[in-house]
Amino acid sequence: MTANIRTVTPPKNFDTFAWKWMRYSGIVLVPLVWIHVLIQDVLVGVHAIDLDYVVLRWGMIGWQVYDILLLAFTFAHGMNGLRQVSNDFIHAEKARKAVAWIIFVLWLVISAIGAIAILAAAAKNLAAVQ
Amino acid sequence: MATFISSLQTTLKGYVAYRGREGHISFIVHRITGLGTLLFLLVHILDTSTVYFFPSLYEHAIALYQSTPFMLGEIVLVFCVIFHGVNGLRIAWYDMFRPGAWNITGQRKSVRTTFMISIVLWLPAAYLMARSLIIHNFLDA
Repeated sequence: MTANIRTVTPPKNFDTFAWKWMRYSGIVLVPLVWIHVLIQDVLVGVHAIDLDYVVLRWGMIGWQVYDILLLAFTFAHGMNGLRQVSNDFIHAEKARKAVAWIIFVLWLVISAIGAIAILAAAAKNLAAVQ
Repeated sequence: MATFISSLQTTLKGYVAYRGREGHISFIVHRITGLGTLLFLLVHILDTSTVYFFPSLYEHAIALYQSTPFMLGEIVLVFCVIFHGVNGLRIAWYDMFRPGAWNITGQRKSVRTTFMISIVLWLPAAYLMARSLIIHNFLDA
């Protein structure tokens, strides 16, 4: 089979950045998400998880950092994936932009809610130490 | 709206009618597993946030996750996460390091390998989760 390689220079726009983001974040997400799922779903199990368990976990700075990274990488990867899938189904430029904005706002709001919950737990722990 | 419906139909018809064998199947499964994981993730961020915002609600969320249908869903979710990860690594590897190796015969082989790796990784996890489901929801009840 002859190798048919041609070099193209992709334009430096948002979609090129998003395309790269899906690959780089994906590589980071495999260990990040798999370790999370292995511990919480497979080894610990949902029957051993309660409020105290989460509070205890968020009492440790290491797991807080871990969960912040998890939140940042997974949701940005997932919501950008949703945007890319939506571009397959929506062809009108105006509608595409509108859907992209809705996805962006949804991403921002839900990420903020998650981040506040994790960081507030940190603040509470700090207050308890002092 | 009419144009939206027609573009929706065009894309869906293309998804079904395209006969790309392994490459086609991995594309469809990658999308379904990705969107499925995203749907769970969205709910999961919000339910875990109740630990801080409405702690009393968190116990209800966990009780729901401990029910049999949700635990079966969890087993499916773990397959989605494993397949999406393995297949994603395959795509990233070809795109970033071996773009010249994107050819039909190579892709067919790598898709089959991807499914095999995913199932081999999933089976022990599925066994442990199914075991936990039977112990907690059927033997212990």
